[in-house]
Amino acid sequence: MEFFLQQTVNGLTLGSVYALIALGYSMVYGILKLLNFAHGEVYMFGAFAGYGVLTILGGSSALVVPVWLAIMLMFGAAMIVSAAIGVALERFAYRPLRNSTRIAPLISAIGASFFLQAAALLMFTANSRSYNTPSLIAIETGIPLGPIRVWMVRVLVIVTAFVLMILLTLWVNRSRTGKAVRAVSFDREAAAMMGIDVDKVIVVTFLIGSALAGIGGVMVGLVFGRIFHLMGFVAGLKAFTAAVVGGIGSIPGAMLGGLLIGFAEAYTTGYISSTFQNLIVFGLLIVVLLVRPSGLLGRPELVKV
Amino acid sequence: MSQIGVDQWVEQSDERRQDYQGWTAPARRLFDKLAPGGRLALFLLVAAAYPFFVRGSDVRVGITILLLAMVALGLNVVVGWAGLLDLGYVAFYGFGAYFYAIVASNQLPAHWPTWIAIPVIVAASALLGALLSLPSRRLVGDYLAIMTLFFAQVFVELVRNFERLPFVSDDLNLTGGPNGIPGVFPWELFGFSFNTFHRNYYLALAFVGLLIIGLHNLNDSRTGRAWRALREDTLAAEHMTTPVNRLKMLAFAVGAGIAGLTGTLFAAVQVGVFPNNFNLFFLITMYAAVILGGSGSIPGVVLGAIAIAYTPELLRDPGKAGWLFYIGLVVLLVVVVRRWERIAATVGGVIVFGFIVRVVASGIWDEATMGEANDTFISRLIDDWVLVLGAQSDVITNYAFVLAVVGMLTVVVASGWWKIAALIPTIYLAVLVWENKLAFQPSITRQLLFGGVLVVMMAVRPQGLLGTKRVEII
Amino acid sequence: MKPILELRGLSKSFGGLKVIEDLDLVVGAGQIVHDDDPVVSQKDVVDDLDLSISPGEIVSVIGPNGAGKTTLFNLITGIYEPDRGDILMDGRSIVGLSPEQIANLGVARTFQTLRLFLNMTVKENVMAAAYGDSQARIWQSVFRTPAARREERQIAEMAERKLAFFGKRLMGYRWDQPAYSLSYANRRRLEIARAMATNPRLLMLDEPAAGMNPAETHEITELIGELRDEVGFSILVIEHDMHVVEGISDRVIALDHGVKIAEGSFEDVATSPQVIEAYLGYGAADRK
Repeated sequence: MEFFLQQTVNGLTLGSVYALIALGYSMVYGILKLLNFAHGEVYMFGAFAGYGVLTILGGSSALVVPVWLAIMLMFGAAMIVSAAIGVALERFAYRPLRNSTRIAPLISAIGASFFLQAAALLMFTANSRSYNTPSLIAIETGIPLGPIRVWMVRVLVIVTAFVLMILLTLWVNRSRTGKAVRAVSFDREAAAMMGIDVDKVIVVTFLIGSALAGIGGVMVGLVFGRIFHLMGFVAGLKAFTAAVVGGIGSIPGAMLGGLLIGFAEAYTTGYISSTFQNLIVFGLLIVVLLVRPSGLLGRPELVKV
Repeated sequence: MSQIGVDQWVEQSDERRQDYQGWTAPARRLFDKLAPGGRLALFLLVAAAYPFFVRGSDVRVGITILLLAMVALGLNVVVGWAGLLDLGYVAFYGFGAYFYAIVASNQLPAHWPTWIAIPVIVAASALLGALLSLPSRRLVGDYLAIMTLFFAQVFVELVRNFERLPFVSDDLNLTGGPNGIPGVFPWELFGFSFNTFHRNYYLALAFVGLLIIGLHNLNDSRTGRAWRALREDTLAAEHMTTPVNRLKMLAFAVGAGIAGLTGTLFAAVQVGVFPNNFNLFFLITMYAAVILGGSGSIPGVVLGAIAIAYTPELLRDPGKAGWLFYIGLVVLLVVVVRRWERIAATVGGVIVFGFIVRVVASGIWDEATMGEANDTFISRLIDDWVLVLGAQSDVITNYAFVLAVVGMLTVVVASGWWKIAALIPTIYLAVLVWENKLAFQPSITRQLLFGGVLVVMMAVRPQGLLGTKRVEII
Repeated sequence: MKPILELRGLSKSFGGLKVIEDLDLVVGAGQIVHDDDPVVSQKDVVDDLDLSISPGEIVSVIGPNGAGKTTLFNLITGIYEPDRGDILMDGRSIVGLSPEQIANLGVARTFQTLRLFLNMTVKENVMAAAYGDSQARIWQSVFRTPAARREERQIAEMAERKLAFFGKRLMGYRWDQPAYSLSYANRRRLEIARAMATNPRLLMLDEPAAGMNPAETHEITELIGELRDEVGFSILVIEHDMHVVEGISDRVIALDHGVKIAEGSFEDVATSPQVIEAYLGYGAADRK
């Protein structure tokens, strides 16, 4: 029972992070029908930005500010850095290709992803860095949940992620810009004719999606400790899987998909072996793509002949 | 009854022909005069003469170039002609290489003679390609790309972890795990062993020539037209009797077969195969070659392969790398700033800027110029101008890199004299980053370059160097 | 003698909206089969449609926009599957076949929104449609065997003949020009030429005169007649321009909201009160 609870908490934690990253994929796909391959790198740079702030503030063992402030600053820095990269990607790698073939933005995205990985390698070298979280937030602190204690860090991650998702959903459904985002997802031309500034909406979408991914990066650093320049690649693939499973283009779908993938990975690692965790997740993707490409909550695309 | 289609406009069409314009015109007219056969002959002649003028190690480089050309030609069939974004293509290459390595080495007791191995492997690769094409019946565009990418991942994981799979026995070390398979035998046909660089070079060249001719013929046939029709408008093609699913399978199979063949040659020349040979990095390399040269164009793809395969060689040697960097910088400068007076202004500005920075920096901080310059011609030349940092060079160079990238983006957006203003610090910073870090990190430089090539080509010239501009209605 | 095409009780709805309702049509040996079983189902797009076409017959389908005409075409060529009813060619059902299989059976079409292979040359567009009629295997193409070369020549000559139908417009230097460089009217002509190259027995034209000026429209009208007279096609045409419909049709069928509301000669249909109401509004037939 203990073990099961532990894995469930793991799944919830992982799932929350995947959900945050998957949201970026889904939102961008919904609005541009583009798979932003470079999104994983956006997440990775967020993690490093958080690390940078942590170091400036003295490192996990010798912080010069209270822990909660440090974490907020880390989140803030990650948001800014990731959002900046995301917006730059949109402006320079994708916007020129808005009216081009369907393949062109994909190739550009792959190239951008590769470039960003190289940039990270150049700046951070291949050595991984560690957030060293136990020094930051002692493992002993935690919330009891039945027979186990849930480490405070994980609680923080899960709560923050859910709060963010709720805020995002409210924003997309209630605010003007949020509704504009949905409108542009449905029909870009019609939205433009209704007076919506499509370019601005697209920038906002990238901004928010990237910021969320950046926060996800810091979260991963906090929970799992190690960050390295290639972390964006595999996490990106898994988050992408989550987005597709949940229904790409759908915000609730990304959240649902993220949680599903998180649980799948946690239970596989716990009950089978970690060697297979990637295989199972990828296998899930292939099955979904073949059986129901629009995902669990997605809309099938209608094409007029 | 009225006469259909009799028209003055049509009658006078010949008078309205326009000749080539611009400074490339004489070259293009000459190029046109040579029939495609002539161009191929010229290329083969030059390539055949190459080994006589260079050292042995350069012949090895030549082989690498030819292998990339082969694999790019295969990828061109799938991506350039049929328009199917196959991001798993590298797996076919790996499949062919590993298959050959397994049957032509001491990994297993089996030693297949080359004349049996090669056709079997090519057929198997084609079959694998046909299998992988099955998802393409239901998936298009992005989804297909992702699916194929995942398969490529699965291949590398499988090959790397084969012994650890649950149903595989410990004695059967098929793929050599993370260490790969060493000691692969060279090709041997009719008692003639291809065990030198020279022999393999001409073998590869022969294949490249045959592929060029064969693929050209294929493109000009009903199959080629059907591929291009299915790329243009799959639904309309289907209505015009094109069996689209079968043709997608065919494209995958042909591409995979070519990749498998190249793989076997690769394994033989490298005398071994390792999982890392077939990772994402090589996939990007292949795509860079096709995109740069011009997807859909056979000469384009070959040219792209030459450029992309030769660059890492240039980058390996700091002296040559330096030349590549600075000449590239000059070319970019000319392309971005067309007018001569502005180019001169930029160059002047950069020089002045550099001196100012140097003076200021060394005034503030001694370490600024304490580093050792690279031992290359240009580096020593500008040693007294650029900041060659001593301590803290990592951190400062990182900031410089970020600022340089921001600067480049600004240059794209700016116009007129603002462009020049943004260009000056950007160029200086680029030189700084180069001299302090990139010059001796060819692998990173290569990665930055290839990634950048893909992004820039798509934005600026999606048809590549030799491709034809496409019109697309979405 | 079996009709080339026969629709029986064809019905199709999309997401709850009836597009075609109980349509019957026979393009056959001059016999018009009426199915007088009006199945009044509320949600069909194509509703119990019956339709039939004879060899060498030109049938026009008219009706206001949204009447289900293009959906009808899409059902026949296999893009959609009908909810109810049957589509028969030469007496055999073609429901469930892919568009490529149906094309090989002898049905060719043009598209309302023009779907040319824009980046291929004019000649290649037409040659591409000959795939189903050719045999060259891959290895024959790769090695350019005499058989393959011969077939290529034949295909090229066939393409030239089809293009010659349109006079000098699509001939000579035009052959090697990319299709995207053609004017709108020439693009429409090219699409017809391409459809002809599939060697069909039934040619389906979706608004062939759309967007053309009077001279071009006149030309198209003559051309459609020539296609039937010289080549022997049966032709099913969707058209809005009544001059064209009048000029070419052996028979006219009027659809409204997926239901066949009139069938007969042009005069019969044009003066039928239901048709007038469909176009001009309820009660228009009474105001004369």
